[in-house]
Amino acid sequence: MIEQDKIAEQVRMCAACPKMCRHVCPTFFAWRSDAPTPHGRALLLHQEIVGTRKIDERGVEVLYQCLECSHCLTWCKPEIDIATFVELKRQELVKSGQQPKGISQLTSLVSAMHNPFDEDHSKRNMWIKISKSKGPKVLYFTGCTAAYREKDSAQDTVYLLELLGYSVEVTPDEWCCGSPLIRTGDIETGLKQAAHNVEVLNRVDAEEILVTCPGCYRVLTTDYTENGYVLNKPVLHISEFLAKSLDKLPVGKCDRLVSFHDPCHLGRHSGIYQAPRDVITQVCGVAPVEMDRNKENAMCCGNGAGLRTLFPEYAKKIGAERIRQAKNVDAKYLVTSCPFCKEMLDAQSDELLTVLDLPEFVMQFGKGRDVKTD
Amino acid sequence: MLDNKTRMKLFKRITKILSNEHVTMHETDQILNAHDAWPLSEAKIRSGEVLPLADLIVFPESVDEVSKILVIANELKLPIVPVGGGAGTCGGTLPIYGGIQLDLKRMNKIIEIDHKSMLVRVQAGVIGIDLEEEVNRLGYTTGHTPTSLRASNIGGFIATRSGGSMSSLYGKIEDLTLGLQVVLPNGSIIETKAIPRHSVGPDLRQLFIGSEGTLGIITEATMKLFPLPEDRRFRSVSFPDVHSGLEAIRKIFRVGILPSVVRLYDPEDAAFSFSMHFEFEEGHCMLLLAFDGASKKIDIDEKQAVRICLEEGGTDHGEGPSKRWWEHRYDMYYPTRLTTAGFAIGDTIDIVATYDKLESVYYAMKDAMEAEDAVVMSHFSHMYQNGGSIYMIFFTSQPDAETAWATYKKIWDAGVYACHREGGTMSHQHGVGLSRSTYTEDELGSSFGVLKKIKEVLDPNCIMNPGKLGLGVRK
Repeated sequence: MIEQDKIAEQVRMCAACPKMCRHVCPTFFAWRSDAPTPHGRALLLHQEIVGTRKIDERGVEVLYQCLECSHCLTWCKPEIDIATFVELKRQELVKSGQQPKGISQLTSLVSAMHNPFDEDHSKRNMWIKISKSKGPKVLYFTGCTAAYREKDSAQDTVYLLELLGYSVEVTPDEWCCGSPLIRTGDIETGLKQAAHNVEVLNRVDAEEILVTCPGCYRVLTTDYTENGYVLNKPVLHISEFLAKSLDKLPVGKCDRLVSFHDPCHLGRHSGIYQAPRDVITQVCGVAPVEMDRNKENAMCCGNGAGLRTLFPEYAKKIGAERIRQAKNVDAKYLVTSCPFCKEMLDAQSDELLTVLDLPEFVMQFGKGRDVKTD
Repeated sequence: MLDNKTRMKLFKRITKILSNEHVTMHETDQILNAHDAWPLSEAKIRSGEVLPLADLIVFPESVDEVSKILVIANELKLPIVPVGGGAGTCGGTLPIYGGIQLDLKRMNKIIEIDHKSMLVRVQAGVIGIDLEEEVNRLGYTTGHTPTSLRASNIGGFIATRSGGSMSSLYGKIEDLTLGLQVVLPNGSIIETKAIPRHSVGPDLRQLFIGSEGTLGIITEATMKLFPLPEDRRFRSVSFPDVHSGLEAIRKIFRVGILPSVVRLYDPEDAAFSFSMHFEFEEGHCMLLLAFDGASKKIDIDEKQAVRICLEEGGTDHGEGPSKRWWEHRYDMYYPTRLTTAGFAIGDTIDIVATYDKLESVYYAMKDAMEAEDAVVMSHFSHMYQNGGSIYMIFFTSQPDAETAWATYKKIWDAGVYACHREGGTMSHQHGVGLSRSTYTEDELGSSFGVLKKIKEVLDPNCIMNPGKLGLGVRK
């Protein structure tokens, strides 16, 4: 836990900055106002800390106009992590019942349905076709987006793992990982999901837990552990998992330019940049073409930390800009390694740019090829 | 500030022009949008003070919307404060008399690039770095790269007569702006043609460049483009004193060489900026040079510039310090624990003078500012054939707010007075805003009356950014 005086010092510095990171802030891009910016958020926090002014209803809204994408941190020389301070403040707001109504509704939904989409829990992931295989057992934690909204991605993940010789397990008892709640400040309800998932996942006989959603990956590997919920098997992201088996991947040929969108939770928050690029390079024979803003400097898709729930039109604007950036480098395929990013980007794209999640891409370009086996 | 009833009426009228989401009366928005990067504003914010607030903030998207808003403001005689990136260093966007802050950030379209004439037409709210990156992709540079590039807008550059770090070669914004679209206080929209030169009377474009929102609102501009240089090379030379360094610079320009970067750090600034990274003699100055262009031409220019430097007593340090500065040129703009602690406050008085006066202005300002309890360090930068600028950087830390703000004012007064006494001009590129507003009449002397008369004609109700540039000061 960061000490209060350290937070005060860092917030003070950010509030006194001439906005050196604002130009990459996606919410500044969407609103074009000084309010939803790292500097604006810091100023609100600073004024409350020094007793100038309490955060009012509009201030709460501003603090929820943040994707927690940490792009500002890439451009911050003093390395002030405003996204973390925003999240800590959101926790206080939730405790005092000041969070926006849309966030309370999200929490209620997840508590009741175990997913944020108001979908029937019994239909979560039992629709996935799984073959009987004798290979090493891997537990695929599907996550809500792949299970309910990006079913092709979920199914392709299973096909791909089976192609690589694994025996895949999914569990119908899986709940939302808690990321949407933890990132929007409801740590208590988020950790209820953690407690349930740890109990369920620890019971499954498998060597590893595999996730495709970087939001799930971050909470399973970081938030769960930090809060005392310990999984008894390693958690791997699909990109890392595939990068360990590059020579086994189906090899195809892509005759059109491919670019890669770095999901914030995978890149800036988990430090995984190269693995998905290695997978793409292996599968299609050439490295992805980089957008001007890539890796640590990649723009968020617009979907995170409750923004889409509260401000859907602004979230879409951000997604559309990311699509424009991909088209700027003449990409015809935009691959990401996150079903949640994929859903947003795909919705903002058109027939000129195909958006695919990494397992979909591998299956699309490698399907039908022989797979090398040991 | 307006009373609530009037404010609501105004809100209703404005929201007939703009949708509700682009007009705000929330106190939180007023606070978050109130200030630019004036060090005094930042210090006051840190110490818990609330700055003057606008009654209403509007975010128009088109010139027509700007025009309609100005018609209302003019009718009601309400102050209008244009806001660009909010990165100015002189308090130019502070709504000291309330009224409407007209924020141009939504006017962010790059409208057209004319490859044949090498011009780009942009809306005023385009951020500097967004324009630079976009034209870089197409093989151009705007040649305008101030330290605030990431935060400033094109309109703000023009409104403050901004200068980039490579102005010695490419010029300042007044050289780089060929055409303008401006909305006058009565709402009429005027355009000045984008042309390289003309002889049709006075250059009206220049009337608005540097007008800081006091004569109208710049909504669109046509800017020059340059091909990205084939090569950029760096060179550094130390000198035993300011005089020999300045002589070298003067002679480099005199033989016709135009380096893109020319920065001479005085002994204090050289020690602060480079002694941790490079070996050079204690008490020496450091000259940073950069050359842009075709490699063969740079070879000749660089060789000749270094020869001049050595003849003036310089010691060659290769590319090291100069290249390091280039790579870290934005770093000094970030706040640090030290510069944001307690009632610490630092600022820069960026003056300009001809070569015959530069040294005397430098020493006079340094002495005067140090006498007011300031730590002063300086560099000569943005140098030209006939003279150049000095960045008189100062820092002071006091035990309480009252003493700190008073000391800050005394340092400014002493510095600007010394500058004027020795024949310098008080701003090269930061503009006037609020921090220099009270000195404008002294600075412009007999010509200040002309500026006042122009203001009276164009803005008879004195609604445009009152209190800035020495104009429209209210009781």
